[in-house]
Amino acid sequence: MLAGALILNAQSVSQKIDLGGKDSPLGFIGSDFQPSNATVRGGAYFVDVHASLSMRNSSQRRIRSVTLVVLAQEVTPAGKGSVSVPGLNVAPGEVFSVRIDMPLVRPLSAGGGPSVEVKLDGVLFDDMSFYGPDKLHSRRTMTMWEMAAQQYRARLKTLLEASGGSAVQAEIVSSLARQADRAQPGVQMVMGGRSTNAEPDRELKFAFLEIPESPVQPLGGSARIAGNEASAPRFEVRNRSGRAVQHVEIGWIVRDQQGREFLAASMPADLKLAPNQTGQIAQETALRFPERVTIQSMTGFISSVEFGDGDYWIPGRNALEIPRLREVVAPSPEEQRLAQIYKKKGLQALLDELKKF
Amino acid sequence: MSRHAQETDLALYAAGDLALHRRAGVWLHVRRCEECAASVEAFRADRLRMQQSAADLPDGVDWDSLSAEMTANIRVGLAAGECVAPRARKAVVLPWKPAAVAAGVTVLVVAAFWLNMPFADTQALGRVFRGIAHGGRLALSPDERGTVVEASFDGVELRENGSRLGIEQTGLTPVTFSVSAQGSASVRYVDDDTGQVTIASVYVQ
Repeated sequence: MLAGALILNAQSVSQKIDLGGKDSPLGFIGSDFQPSNATVRGGAYFVDVHASLSMRNSSQRRIRSVTLVVLAQEVTPAGKGSVSVPGLNVAPGEVFSVRIDMPLVRPLSAGGGPSVEVKLDGVLFDDMSFYGPDKLHSRRTMTMWEMAAQQYRARLKTLLEASGGSAVQAEIVSSLARQADRAQPGVQMVMGGRSTNAEPDRELKFAFLEIPESPVQPLGGSARIAGNEASAPRFEVRNRSGRAVQHVEIGWIVRDQQGREFLAASMPADLKLAPNQTGQIAQETALRFPERVTIQSMTGFISSVEFGDGDYWIPGRNALEIPRLREVVAPSPEEQRLAQIYKKKGLQALLDELKKF
Repeated sequence: MSRHAQETDLALYAAGDLALHRRAGVWLHVRRCEECAASVEAFRADRLRMQQSAADLPDGVDWDSLSAEMTANIRVGLAAGECVAPRARKAVVLPWKPAAVAAGVTVLVVAAFWLNMPFADTQALGRVFRGIAHGGRLALSPDERGTVVEASFDGVELRENGSRLGIEQTGLTPVTFSVSAQGSASVRYVDDDTGQVTIASVYVQ
């Protein structure tokens, strides 16, 4: 009887797809929302979205990245998600697909039954131009992915020209080894400050990895530490470039009691800084690690900067060769994509892929 | 004569109490069987002796009154036995149809109440019941204080007011995950065959 009730409780999901207006560079080809379903739990629908969307590049430029918003309810926590596909190389007229697997929440009070809306948030082209409403700041994210992708492809091409395919192979094998060795314990982020007051906390200052070419310099920072939890991080930064800055992101590295370092989180902040101006970044959030992790020290580094004119900065390959950064920073999506092509299809397939860009 | 009449039939025949349809058969048999005829005579002699003994009882014996007294004594004995024996309980049989209707209405009301309560309230109510079940302690665990986003190689999980919601791409394991202090968490998947990277994010705010 209970099983029957649960089956009756699972409802099909209605969907709406909006890829933009008539000037959209994406044309809708088809979609398959099976086996998406919605289940009533408490006062909300838990909508389990499993979908595949086929789209055509109806623009005259190659598409590099796409971000779609998946929406069950705009203002509900977990009512909104996104799916991004970086590293694309979709020529004009070509068809490509995007896979969506995502659970979302929709309050019953929203009315109208369980429904999901898939909307375009942005498309990034090979000339770094952008189309879309950019509600999720996907322009910034996708531009930085593409910058990192171009850096990595350029590195591989340089190696290929200088030392041949074996050098490319050695670089990819090294990348695969780093990816396999990269430590990253699970992390919980608690919105609104400390999640527990069972232990007394202490203030711990951040050390900083200096990246000489960074347009923003970290001057100091601290967070409250209690056992395996760090909260209320605060930073002071200075714009040492000659251009106005409007967004800064800081990478947060944690070292545990066994000396292992890992990238714990990123701290993005909309911060308008004129040249040589200093500013404060503060977040009322807390990070909690598995109980076996005790925070011994913390290190910060500037991971990206957006200038007032819409230009971006990310650490160059030289900066990423700093051993501590190299060990903790996640490989770029493009590095992972190319490594997977090598792993699955071999060196020649990788070299063929590089020639496409 | 190879077969004799039954002794009980002979006794009843001697007293004149044998049923009419069997009496003729026994009469014919006794006429031809000396042994059975002797038994009949013996029964008649015993009967005569008992009647003579009864005549020797004291005068004034009232057989009807004696029978009534004995019956009364037997009834008193039976009543006393019931008092000493364990008392049998009367089974209360409820009519099942009204009970089924009441149960159905109760389920309907509870379900309607539960489904129409705000989500956070149902979760909070659930925690209260859990707290009562665990000895009345209603303190929240750290996980239940506010919104928590957890990212790991199992995917991204959102926890709010004790409920959980996870991102898990069918058949794929995240290769990377990240958390942003502004309230989002992302997992990165790589398609084994094509290498295509898909990044799924959930937004708490």
